[in-house]
Amino acid sequence: MTISGLGPHGERAAPPERVTLLPDDRTAAKDAAWRAAVVLHTVESDWAKQQLAGMVGIFGDCGTAVIDVVDCGFSPERQVTELDRLIAHRPDAIISLPVANEEVAAAHARVSAAGIRLVLLDNVPTGLLPGKHYTALVSADNFGLGKIAAAGLSRDLREGAEVGVLGFAADFFATNEREIAFTKWLQAHRPDIRVHVERFDRMSEAANLAEKLVGQHPAMAGLFVVWDTPAMAVSERLSQLGRALPMATVDLGEAAAIDIAREGYICCIAAQQPYLQGIAAAQTVILSLLARPVPAWIALPGIRVTRDNVVESFQKVWRQPAPKEVLRVLGLSR
Amino acid sequence: METAAPSLVELLNLVRSEAATTRQELERQSDLGRAVVADRLTMLGELGLVDESELGATTGGRAPRLVRFAARRAAILVATLDQTAIGVGVADLSGNLLTEHHEAADLTVPPAQLTDRLSALFRWSLERHPAQDGVWGLSLSVPGAVQSGNDGAFLTATPQFMPTWEGYPLVETLTRGFGVPVWIRSSVETMTMGELHAGAGLGQRTMLFIKVGRRIGAGIVCEGQLFRGAQGAAGLIGSLPVTSGGQTGSLDSMAGSDMIQREGLGAANDGRSEVLADILRRSGEITAIEVLQAAQLGDPASVAILATSGHLIGQVVATLANALNPELIVLSGSIVQTNDILLAAVREAVYGASHPLVTRDLRIIRSQMGSSAGLVGAARVASEALFAPAFLKEWVMQGRPQAHPAFADFRAQLARGAEPDPAPPMPPASGPGEEPPA
Repeated sequence: MTISGLGPHGERAAPPERVTLLPDDRTAAKDAAWRAAVVLHTVESDWAKQQLAGMVGIFGDCGTAVIDVVDCGFSPERQVTELDRLIAHRPDAIISLPVANEEVAAAHARVSAAGIRLVLLDNVPTGLLPGKHYTALVSADNFGLGKIAAAGLSRDLREGAEVGVLGFAADFFATNEREIAFTKWLQAHRPDIRVHVERFDRMSEAANLAEKLVGQHPAMAGLFVVWDTPAMAVSERLSQLGRALPMATVDLGEAAAIDIAREGYICCIAAQQPYLQGIAAAQTVILSLLARPVPAWIALPGIRVTRDNVVESFQKVWRQPAPKEVLRVLGLSR
Repeated sequence: METAAPSLVELLNLVRSEAATTRQELERQSDLGRAVVADRLTMLGELGLVDESELGATTGGRAPRLVRFAARRAAILVATLDQTAIGVGVADLSGNLLTEHHEAADLTVPPAQLTDRLSALFRWSLERHPAQDGVWGLSLSVPGAVQSGNDGAFLTATPQFMPTWEGYPLVETLTRGFGVPVWIRSSVETMTMGELHAGAGLGQRTMLFIKVGRRIGAGIVCEGQLFRGAQGAAGLIGSLPVTSGGQTGSLDSMAGSDMIQREGLGAANDGRSEVLADILRRSGEITAIEVLQAAQLGDPASVAILATSGHLIGQVVATLANALNPELIVLSGSIVQTNDILLAAVREAVYGASHPLVTRDLRIIRSQMGSSAGLVGAARVASEALFAPAFLKEWVMQGRPQAHPAFADFRAQLARGAEPDPAPPMPPASGPGEEPPA
């Protein structure tokens, strides 16, 4: 699978295989007995749990102690405080998902300035440079995810249809790329389609904005929501309103998987691979601590999920069996 | 009131450059009286160009009010165009990048189509980062050398920069679309500016910036300023002849990424490189990046190819270094960024061919800015031009550069000739499928 996006500074993507660890690397890492900390936007979501599982396993193989896992609760202030607290503990490395742009940039720069390896997930605050302010970025190919969603939704759209995009109001590399790519794909391949964009800053707002969009544009024929949790809130609202609309989204959460199997609202999902992303992030940390050169941007391709491949995709993404309800609806179990 | 302009320009630039951050410092550095400074600062405050709401550190007694440049008052739109990608960003008036986005693009598509894409991304970025007074300038970085004309002032015609874009009114289209002055510089120039103001060159007086890609170019910084030469063609080292293995050709053709790719393919086919032969069998092609990766893995044939490239570049750079005696040489471009061998070969050649005084404190490093250097540098080009004293004095009394009389004239002239332009009001005419005019 090729990566279609460019990195936050225009970097070409390196595949996760580029940061594979060899037996010698693990041995050397074990001898060093490093300490690492992880700072996430939340630890509640399946996505975050899978990332952590991937990372912690690799760190375990390499004798690196995970001394803290911080839940920032999506709060930039909290992230700044926690990063400064961690710097004082002097771990060898920190993996962090910057929850905002400008507000958290200086705190992340302080981590590197303190001589701690910093590997970022999903987002780079503007102005921070790889090799100088952080070691590497590990993320999904978010541009590719947006394209997968657009191509998937496009099949259900008649000539001249109107489409709504519900983007994320925060200035965030991952969701920006998805939105730009979705719109760009339609402009290039379906110039007949008209796109209306709204952006939510709280997840609870997504359903209200969807209601507003379909109210203002009665001919609306499809929706793209930039990730699955707000997408499911939107589908619930549409169902209350009695509006059936095909939707595309990103991330194969359990509710979205059940919906796609039932042929509900969601017709296409562009799935990230959080478990593999966690593995790549931890391997990047180890290689960088071993003083091996690492790429500035490591990107994992997205997976196109439809009803036909939802079971295998779920297993691939979450390293777990698909939900019982999915298996039942598809006639694979009772 | 006309007499106020020179002192406003002087004070604003002292504040902007942070040479002075309090009223006392402004009085001292400008030789203007306290009453004049107070009056001009009030004017600049009313024009929204400075902000005095913050208190500074006290040195005993009352804390002084800090005088700050209102960099967020308006935005500068920036973009980089290169052969395979475009980058778009929004910067503040000091040239700090607030957001950036890069995507793959093909520079050989019709110019109108790519300009539409740029404009769409500009509007998208502005929607995400709105500034109080909108946009004040637009600055582009393009692949080829850009002929210099009336430096400092804005462009009133599209300079030549690439054969395929010849005849396309890029400057006119963007000025019409965004209503602001436009600047264009070569990518080597903008990247040099970016490196100088936000990268490894920060605070350096003399620097050489070498961009290595399909083409090889140099950016020259003397006395802290980018040196453009008489025509804007300073640093075009890629066309210099070099000799290697009995062959003579231009530095571009003998050491650029095309050579790396070509030689890599040769090594895959004639059995010199097992690694490259394997890649060729599986993917059917060899790119320069794959030669770099193979070299990084220790493949001897790939290492030799990169060492040849590095030595040839190093020889030419050594000549420049001996002429300029820089403090710092920064190498940039994806080939340099993903590989240590080329950097090492350049270092070896430069150290071997230079006067001992030239290399005594010389540092030769690679850039860490990636494609951001071009965007950051483009923003600095616009911010320096907007606030250059000769340009600033013509608009400062009105508080926004669109009021500059020459710019207002240019817009009026564009408006008169606007009818034949197939821009925004007729979207289908500039759609993706359109063919360029013959």
